[in-house]
Parts: sequence; structure tokens; C-alpha cells
Amino acid sequence: MELSLPDEIIAFAVWNNRIAPVFDVAHRVCIVNVESGRVIGEREISLEKGTNSQRALRLAELGVHTLVCGAISRQLLATMKAYGIDVVSSVAGECDEVLQAYLTGGVELQGFSIPALRRSHRKSSE
Amino acid sequence: MPNSQLLYWIAVATKMKKKVHSVITTPTEIILESISDGVFTIDSQWHITSFNRAAEEITGISRKEAIGRGCCDVFRSSMCETECSLKRSMETGKPYIGKSGYIIDADGERIPISVSTAVLRDAKGRVIGGAETFRDLSDVEALRRELEGRFRVGDLVSRSPLMQKVFEALPAIAASPSTVLILGDTGTGKEVVAKTIHSLSPRQKGPFIAVNCGALPDTLLESELFGYKKGAFTGAHKDKPGRFAMASGGTLFLDEIGEVSSALQVRLLRVLQERTYEPLGSTRSEATDVRVIAATKTDLAQQTRKGLFREDLYYRINVVRVELPPLRKRKEDIPLLVQKFVDRFNRLQRKTIQGFSAEALSLLMAHDWPGNVRELENVVERAFVICNEGFVEIAHLPEELTTRGVSKRGSSHLEDAHHMIDLQSLRVALDRNNFNREAAAKELGIHKTTLFRRIKKLGIELPKRDGRSRRRTKQ
Repeated sequence: MELSLPDEIIAFAVWNNRIAPVFDVAHRVCIVNVESGRVIGEREISLEKGTNSQRALRLAELGVHTLVCGAISRQLLATMKAYGIDVVSSVAGECDEVLQAYLTGGVELQGFSIPALRRSHRKSSE
Repeated sequence: MPNSQLLYWIAVATKMKKKVHSVITTPTEIILESISDGVFTIDSQWHITSFNRAAEEITGISRKEAIGRGCCDVFRSSMCETECSLKRSMETGKPYIGKSGYIIDADGERIPISVSTAVLRDAKGRVIGGAETFRDLSDVEALRRELEGRFRVGDLVSRSPLMQKVFEALPAIAASPSTVLILGDTGTGKEVVAKTIHSLSPRQKGPFIAVNCGALPDTLLESELFGYKKGAFTGAHKDKPGRFAMASGGTLFLDEIGEVSSALQVRLLRVLQERTYEPLGSTRSEATDVRVIAATKTDLAQQTRKGLFREDLYYRINVVRVELPPLRKRKEDIPLLVQKFVDRFNRLQRKTIQGFSAEALSLLMAHDWPGNVRELENVVERAFVICNEGFVEIAHLPEELTTRGVSKRGSSHLEDAHHMIDLQSLRVALDRNNFNREAAAKELGIHKTTLFRRIKKLGIELPKRDGRSRRRTKQ
């Protein structure tokens, strides 16, 4: 049976074609529009320095449903959730590969996350 | 262990070229495992080649997971994207010591750290990678915050002993329902103190309404304070609530209370005594539930003695008294206040000014600040207009701070700053000692002839008769 993903807008925090290590200070995000599991649009935007709320609001204004990023602080994660944005964090790797993995496997992103010694908040949307 | 020494041991360990997962046996490896600083090394492709026990502990990522991965994917620091010290070390071959930032650990906590970096070379001196040590500053940061907390109440910051007394009294003042009188020169922060009292009080969820009594003509002030009923006067088409009604359940701040006319003083006295008032044009009294905080820059006791301010109203508002010292009497607060304003303007204007240079700060310390904290805030705001990044320098300060008494001899900024401080300290000592040169020299801890030489050098004008001759005249 073919997996059908809902239409969504995903933001990938990017740096040098890789997932940016820390979203709290990331300067750019790649906004990807997905319909029926296919990418129909892609563009990069810059993120200004600002408060947690300003960062979350910027993504919310762009209609982002899910953010895929590297590390994210607990405070910023809570703010993103407050703006209704799901976060897949602790992800590392080349952007294209992460995007492909996301499109085929959803938010699990097996093989692109770094397991922690302690319990991590990897999937916030749960 | 100092960072430079640590980096040396790392270099030794790396030269031994032991396999990554081998058993830890060498003294160097034992040292690296036993220290509390995190240490990792990378190869020329930025892949982690070693990761000590403390690094595991601080980052929350195991050595097994870390080794072989890109360092930024594991280290996850605020510096990785734009301020990577390791990158600078690899580019320049030089070590970098003590750069501050934070990492985000596996639990999403921001861990403040300081990092030091160096390159690793092989036997022929070729760069084969880099080493980074990092220190968890959480405890230091917690201590810093605790200390800062002692100097901060609400929006007020101060290290001054004079202000510490005010800080200590504020919680008790806030908890009581009594009327408060705040005394202080223009710009000392009377409204900030009033807001702080309100925010610490049981009325904090109620409104804080401020009225500047000196800014409105008497009749307008009366209608502003008490409101009016429809038809009270020409143009009163509907009821308008006054500030007493608007502040119900909260705090009413009456600034410049000393400017209120005699007639209005009577009405204010009645409100404070009976807790009722009549809006203009009303025949019925209305109850009020406000806490009044009054403030003035004038000496109300003297005004009362002169018959310009009602004695009964003075005693009614002078229940609890807060006296704010002028900035010139708490100059130790200038660096703290400057940093507070820098942080605020950075947030508001989205800039990253790091602060004031030592020379610029020295000039601020030398100034008298007749406009007090407000004047200082304006100077910082002005500097933000001119300065875009880095530190605010003397060139970003207004002329009245930089040109007064500074020679035009093309001296350096540092010299100018020293010159200003010297000038200021001499002026203050002379003023304080009634221009008695001998007493001023004694206060400054210098010989009288040194004082004369410096007075001459700095071009300070002295009155014809000094303090000593005046004393003689009186005798």
C-alpha cells in the first residue's frame, strides 16, 4: 500500500547545505511545499536575530507545519509548539538526503538523528 | 589545569596515534579522562576522532555516537555557524582561548561554555586536525545571576549602597497599602520605582496609571483626575471617567505633586482622607479603591514651610518615603545601567553592540549627569544611532561629554579619558572643600604643589579667594 502524506509546508533549518547545528541561532531555513508526498515548491529564506517568539512567529506566518532542525533549546521548542509548529529535532545530515528520508519515512528520519545518553525531546509533536 | 597545558596533552595523545576505541592505558589518556573539561579532537575533514568522558557528560552524547561524526552535529554550539574558534585555529594555525557561548545538550538545555582551540600537527609540522576543550560554566552563570539578582529589583538595577537601602525597603513598602512619596531629581527614575512598587504589590494585576501634575493646567488636571459628567461644562457630551476611576483596583502615580494648585490640593486631601470624590458636574460621591504614589523633585517640606504646599496634605502623602539619590552620587551604577540600556537597545533595534569601550565608559564615569539616569539612557540611545557594531567608542559620544576640558592637541582617546577623569576629580575635590587648595590636595592624597601644577595644566579657573581666606574672613 502506498503511503500518502498530507499536504504540508516543512521548514528545514539549513547551513552549508546541511541541517544547521543549532536552530536557536540558525540564519536560514529552506521552506518546502509538499503535496501528495511530492515536493512542489522550495525556497530559502533568512531568519533575523530575534526573540523566540519572533522566530516562531516568522515560521507560523509562512504557514510552516513542521520544522526539521538540529539542536533546539527547550524554551524555543515550547514556543514553536505554542505556535502550532511540530518540531523534529536533533537531526544531522545533508539537506537533500534528510528531505528524501522525510518524504519516504515521515518524521522518524531513521539514521539522521543522534541518540543521546540521556532522554532527548526528539519528537515534540507527540 | 590551564587550557594551554590541556591542549599540549591533547597534542601528545594524538601523536601517539592510538586507535579510537582502544583501551585507555597511557598517562595522557588517563589525564584526559579524569579532567572535568570536555575535550574532543577532529581530523582535517572535521570528523571527531576522540571524545573524552567530560565531553560525553556535558553534551549528553556518547563517545560511541560522537566519533566519526561532523563536530558541529555533535557539539551543537551557538558558535558553530559563524564564530567557530576551531575553524579560525585551523585557518591561522593559532590557538584561541576562552571564547564564550553555549551548547544545547541532548536534553535541550542551553549550557553556557567557554572554549579553547588549537591545531594538531604531525611530526613534520603539517596540520592534521584540531583540538577543542570546553568548560561547563553553568555554575558560574548561576552564581552570576544570583549576584545580579542582588543588584536588581524589577526594572531597577544598582550596586550603590544608597540604592541597596531602597531595594531592601521596597518589598515591605509594596506589601503595605500606605501612600508613598518618592523624592528625587529629574531623571532619577521616580516612575520606574513607582512601577516597581506596583508590580511587587498585591495590586499588581490592577492598572498602573500615571499622571504628570506639572504638565497640565489646573482645570484640565482636575477633570483628568476626577472625570466629569455629561453636561458638566460646554463640550462635555458624555460622561468621562477620571484617572482615579481608571486606576481602580490598582495604583495611581501622581508625578510632580509639588506643582498642584492650592485648590486642587484640598480636593486631593479629601480623596486621600475619605477615599471618595465627586466627578465634575456630579452631585454624588464616588468611592475610590486606589493606592496613591506621589513623587516630586522639589523640597516639599520647604514648600510647606513657605506656605506653598498644604501641611496636612504633605503629612498625608509623606507616610512612606523613598529618596532616590542623583546619579552623580552613585556612579558605581553607571556600568550596570549602561549594560542594561545596551541590552535593551540591542533587543529593540536588533543590533549586536557589545558594550562601551573602557575609554568611553571612563568618560561616562567622569560626567556629572545633571539629567541623571534619563540623560545616561539618552546618551546610550544616541550612541546606538551612530555605532553599528562592536563597542561604543568615544567618537560615538555627544560633544558635551567629550569636548569639555579636553585639549585639541590630537591626543589619543585614552589620554582624553584620563584627562577628563583627572579634571573631574579635581573639580569635585575643590568644590567639596570650598576651594581650599590644601584641603582638596589632602583629600586627593597629593601634595599641594602637585595640585597647583595639575590645576594649571588642566586650565581650571579658581575663584580669587580660596576656602582658606574665606574662613579667615568669617573669623
